[in-house]
Amino acid sequence: MFRNNYDNDSVTFSPQGRIFQVEYASEAVKQGSVVVGIVSKTHAVLVALKRNAEELSSYQKKVISIDEHVGVAIAGLASDARVLSNFMKTQSLSSRLTYGRAIPLERIVSAIGDRAQTNTQHYGKRPYGVGLLVTGVDETGPHLFEFQPSGMTQEMVACAIGARSQMARTYLERNMEVFVECGREELVKHGLLALKESLAQDKELTVENCSVGVVGIRGEGMKTIEGFKLYDGQEVKKWVDLVADGAEAEEAMEVDS
Amino acid sequence: MTSIGTGYDLTNSVFSPDGRNFQVEYAVKAVENGGTSIGIRCKDGVVLACEKVITSKLLKAGANKRIATIDRHMGAVSSGLVPDGRHFTSRAREEAASWRKVYKSPITTADLAGRMGGYMQAYTLYSSVRPFGVTAIVAGWDSELELPVDGQVGSGPSIGSGGKAKDKKYGGPGLYMIEPSGIYWGYYGAATGKGRQTAKAEMEKLNLAEGKMSLLDGVKEAAKIIYVAHADNKDKEFELEMTWISNLEGPTKGRHQEVPKELLEDAEKLAKKALDGDDDDEEETKDENKPAEADKMEE
Amino acid sequence: MNHLPQSWGRPRDDIYGAYDHSYLQSNGPNQHTQSPIVTGTSVIALKFKDGVVIAADNLASYGSLARFTDVKRLRSFADSSIVGFGGDVSDMQYLDRLLSSLDTREAYCSSGHSLNAQNLHTYLAKVFYKRRSEFSPLWNQVLVAGLDAESKPFLASADLLGTTFSAPSLATGFGAHLAQPLLRKVAPDEDAVAKLSEEEAVQAVKESMKVLFYRDARSLDKYSIAVVTKAGIRLKEDEKLENQSWAFADKIRGYGTQVN
Repeated sequence: MFRNNYDNDSVTFSPQGRIFQVEYASEAVKQGSVVVGIVSKTHAVLVALKRNAEELSSYQKKVISIDEHVGVAIAGLASDARVLSNFMKTQSLSSRLTYGRAIPLERIVSAIGDRAQTNTQHYGKRPYGVGLLVTGVDETGPHLFEFQPSGMTQEMVACAIGARSQMARTYLERNMEVFVECGREELVKHGLLALKESLAQDKELTVENCSVGVVGIRGEGMKTIEGFKLYDGQEVKKWVDLVADGAEAEEAMEVDS
Repeated sequence: MTSIGTGYDLTNSVFSPDGRNFQVEYAVKAVENGGTSIGIRCKDGVVLACEKVITSKLLKAGANKRIATIDRHMGAVSSGLVPDGRHFTSRAREEAASWRKVYKSPITTADLAGRMGGYMQAYTLYSSVRPFGVTAIVAGWDSELELPVDGQVGSGPSIGSGGKAKDKKYGGPGLYMIEPSGIYWGYYGAATGKGRQTAKAEMEKLNLAEGKMSLLDGVKEAAKIIYVAHADNKDKEFELEMTWISNLEGPTKGRHQEVPKELLEDAEKLAKKALDGDDDDEEETKDENKPAEADKMEE
Repeated sequence: MNHLPQSWGRPRDDIYGAYDHSYLQSNGPNQHTQSPIVTGTSVIALKFKDGVVIAADNLASYGSLARFTDVKRLRSFADSSIVGFGGDVSDMQYLDRLLSSLDTREAYCSSGHSLNAQNLHTYLAKVFYKRRSEFSPLWNQVLVAGLDAESKPFLASADLLGTTFSAPSLATGFGAHLAQPLLRKVAPDEDAVAKLSEEEAVQAVKESMKVLFYRDARSLDKYSIAVVTKAGIRLKEDEKLENQSWAFADKIRGYGTQVN
């Protein structure tokens, strides 16, 4: 039934010092559809591929707005993501209430990191089966963090997680030098192009299966932030059209690479 | 491994017939795969350094700090499972804060090591938890002066708190390393993680027990040790992260801070140079470098 | 004399009458602080074009007794804000430690400190309000001086009830009656603040401290004064009131040393 004796729970180390339950949880992230995040000097974007369970069902939400200045994209168990995103909303709100301050990104990310770690060290709990990309702006500018079921959180310049995300990551690695200077539109375009790399052969981006989230700063300081804006449904059309197959897109691809 | 298949290694808090707790030993394995961390106790301060292996090109350079501040005068670094290290850090911060709440003064490095040793040991006692997959190095500077009590608003009596033995030195640098079993020792130079053997060998050459190493020399040696320890793992890129705590007269005024950028870069340059020299003639490069470093100190 | 241990430390019955045990009753409602014990008097502060000046004297009184004369009632936070405390001194010490632990927590973050005076004031007001709602108030009125999120001068007060207030100039305690009108004359509104120089502001605050010493019997001529600007904090904790003139009291008889 089990692959070995050491993978029954998350409180058992293997002789090599691994915790298989945590490693299996990261497999759940790879089952989720792909999400991509990128930051520039002024903006942070999230783009996501949505899936529907069956033809007649709705598409699973992939990008969640946490607060004016923070948004997350999820890959893996959506219900676990909801627990974490609700927790983030609470944390964010409590910072605004207690200090009148938007919570710094590093704080909110380490809060979920610490919470997830607890689940890997106590019997009767299980690791979260979801990976997150957390974007937002604070006093130190735009940020992108990756969160993993192990409780590991890392700040990235660009990142992709979920099914077939390796192709998207390859795109990001090839183009990462240009991201820092990108404006809002360019950054979303790079995100969508990375996302397209990870699409299955017969799939394409549509207003139904694509979500985009953007957050950024307009000038110096927090007062001029461009709040997290989620584009779904018809609103996302203008972004999807940007990278639609056709002459224009071909051109865009060439410029980018 | 003889333990495998006996069944005594499947649960935490269980002894094998020959008196071993295998789960703790496996936790140590997780540490041994982690990036190298070291600490050097100098006469006028303590240095912490760690090797951060770059696991992805997409990581933001210079972000993702691994050495944490526990209290103003104290820092910690760990090797092994990074999230476990964060758990260690947050508990250490709670201990330091609760100490302040009770005693209205900062916790000493020795006391914090004691508290954390106890905490980690508790995670070897129950089958409902697993041991920490980290070994942590804690460094601090305990004030040698009579500090005001936290929240003190007036100057108070000028004779101090008393109860002190004459001619005895109070305060000073502290360096402790705590292992997954909960055991901890004080060190002149501590190393853990993948490159610990190399790092230990390098530190033994420094005669740290003599207590003559200055903090600025310590920073340079620490950088060199991390570079040397990484040499066995050359195919992977890494970032060097260093923090320090000096005495009250020193550059950090008893606070735990990042080593300033210029100093870090200087130390890295020297480390790279020493490493290149090592390939040709170890002794010669050493002699060349020593006076150069000494000159720098004078400035 | 009654030598039984339960009578130790109590007024003698034969002299003071039977001891009123109702004070020691353990039944009945729980009571917390009903009044402050060791107290600091006024704190005054004034905004000017690039910052805030704040001052408080160095006295802690025990009732009418001038008990401690070297008490620093201006506490700095993160080298960027000053909190001036009026009211109970032990509650001030508690709050000071609370702020110190907050400061330590903020420094954990690698991105550095980001709590400005405005955030600090919001926090303190919440602490006060929470405690008063628990019927265990922290018996203080505080002024928070520093800069807000846009690096503009910030000055606000919070008190034991959780009440908050903000104005170009503020004063607590007796200062609210004696110093506030003087400060308002210098800076009646934000427009006046925008024109006020640091020297003028410091001068006005020092003059007000003098008036407070003349009229407030729980005050001292040793005081602390701080100027908070973008450049940081300049805090002086051992100032002495200069050029005092008691001429106005020349004709007053029957008080203090002049008994006739």
